[in-house]
Amino acid sequence: MSHPRAVGNGPAGSILTVDGLRKTYRQGFLGRRGAPAVADVSLEVRRGEIFALLGHNGAGKTTTLKAILGLVRPDRGRITIDGVDAARPESRESVGYLPEAPYFHENLAARELLDFYGKLLGLSREQRRERTAECLAQVGMAHEARRKLRDCSKGMRQRIGLAQALLNRPRLLILDEPQSGLDPLGRRQVRDLLLAEKRRGATIVFSSHIVPDVEAIADRVAMLRHGRLAEIKDLSSRPPSRCFRIVAAPPRTAEQPSSRWLEDPRWTVTETTSDRWILDVVGAGNLGALLAELDQASAAVHDVRARGGDLETEFLAGLERDHAQEVPSC
Amino acid sequence: MLSRTLAIALATFHETVRDRLFYLVGFFGVALVGASMVLSPLTVGAQSKIVADVGLGSMALLGLLVVLLVGSNLVRKEMDRHTITTVLTKPVGRTDYLIGKYLGLALTLTVMIALMGLIYFGAVSMTTMKPGLAHLGAIYLTLLELLILTSAAVAFSFLVGNALSAVLTAALFVIGHLLRSLRDFAAMTEGLSQDVIMVAYRILPDLEVFNVRSEVVHGDAVGAGLIGMATFYGIGWVIVFLVVARALFDRKEL
Repeated sequence: MSHPRAVGNGPAGSILTVDGLRKTYRQGFLGRRGAPAVADVSLEVRRGEIFALLGHNGAGKTTTLKAILGLVRPDRGRITIDGVDAARPESRESVGYLPEAPYFHENLAARELLDFYGKLLGLSREQRRERTAECLAQVGMAHEARRKLRDCSKGMRQRIGLAQALLNRPRLLILDEPQSGLDPLGRRQVRDLLLAEKRRGATIVFSSHIVPDVEAIADRVAMLRHGRLAEIKDLSSRPPSRCFRIVAAPPRTAEQPSSRWLEDPRWTVTETTSDRWILDVVGAGNLGALLAELDQASAAVHDVRARGGDLETEFLAGLERDHAQEVPSC
Repeated sequence: MLSRTLAIALATFHETVRDRLFYLVGFFGVALVGASMVLSPLTVGAQSKIVADVGLGSMALLGLLVVLLVGSNLVRKEMDRHTITTVLTKPVGRTDYLIGKYLGLALTLTVMIALMGLIYFGAVSMTTMKPGLAHLGAIYLTLLELLILTSAAVAFSFLVGNALSAVLTAALFVIGHLLRSLRDFAAMTEGLSQDVIMVAYRILPDLEVFNVRSEVVHGDAVGAGLIGMATFYGIGWVIVFLVVARALFDRKEL
């Protein structure tokens, strides 16, 4: 089926549309096609939202992003950015992109690199000078502008990568696993930066396999499993929830948690044995209350671990379902 | 559009400068003076011819070395290092990118050959020979030949790896200079071998078109007609190889 080339505005309210995307990579010397990396993925990203692609490793997130950016040629399907066919370079006039592992020319200093990208974006000399300084400041690299890329740490490169993605004040910001490999502070800075970009009016599309990262900022999430779009969930109306799992050793004198514990709706007792209690609780306030109760009961808390909320449960359940279908019965 | 291509070309040129490629010019100067000093006493009365021959020959060989080292790596290196992805996710088409990279290396070769040419003119001036337009023509034709080989190296690099691309380009250089001899040889043979040689003769660039060293060394003129014809021939082959390279580049997943 041939698709007409669209130029102009996309569907009302959407900045990015992916329609029936399919991509299979060629493998081996003869270039045989293997299993599709992405199959029949269709989605629309609304202006001004933060849209996440969530999936396990190999789910097709990066391939989808690369197809959007024209880096891989889809076997089938049509992608438009602001109504312009994504295969055309003009579609990327107002797009910023951060790859999963940004690679840059090692010999260049940060500001030289940004100046080069500014030229590719068609910015004037004055605009390049101004935006380079602004973007480096935005990612906390203003004092490292003259540092050569080869002398930068992974975190610094990630920041420079973000700076180049922001250079043209993009209407659509696409990020591939922006928080992977960053320390907690770095993750928080990236999150804050993305939220600031959203406030500016940018639309953000990012991929991740880390559910809490998605839950923290995404308005909607597309769950990809084995190259297929499982579902799209709206998280914007969902109250922020954070699930914690607590592992505690019961006091020597205690036998089982009292019925008061079991009946308290603020948490769930998942396991109670003579030497271990496992309790799940949603929300930081409830966590505090539970820790106070455990302290009062003289139970030794061994572990408190943040977990995803409903989204993680759904995501994992979907993966387990797929896995169960794949494993042949004995 | 053009400004983006030029930005890529200039970045490529600066990269080769940073890679200290121009050290080869210094090497050329030392080699030329050294060879003249060693060989001239052995060829009494022909010092100027030796200097001209060695100068033009080593200019072509050092240029070829740059083409093999840099040309076959020009785009492949960027693909292997993934530096190409951030460039192509800007509003830059693959054609702009390819042409920009090619022009960048072409600029490097032009500056390099120009600098070597200055050294060459200086060295020849110190002999009994007076360098003139024929010498300039020979240097220009050497550059044209290198530009064809660069475009071929880029095209080969999309088909095979960097190393094999360099080997194929070197093979093209050798075969390209032997084509006329092969054609003459084919005229003396019959059957399949004649057909194969004639096909090769027709589909490969005849690089002897750009070789006027013998005329220069013997003080013969290099006509404007020859220069003009070689220019069209060279540009034609550059376009052919770049079109092939662009078609192969299009198939590459990044």
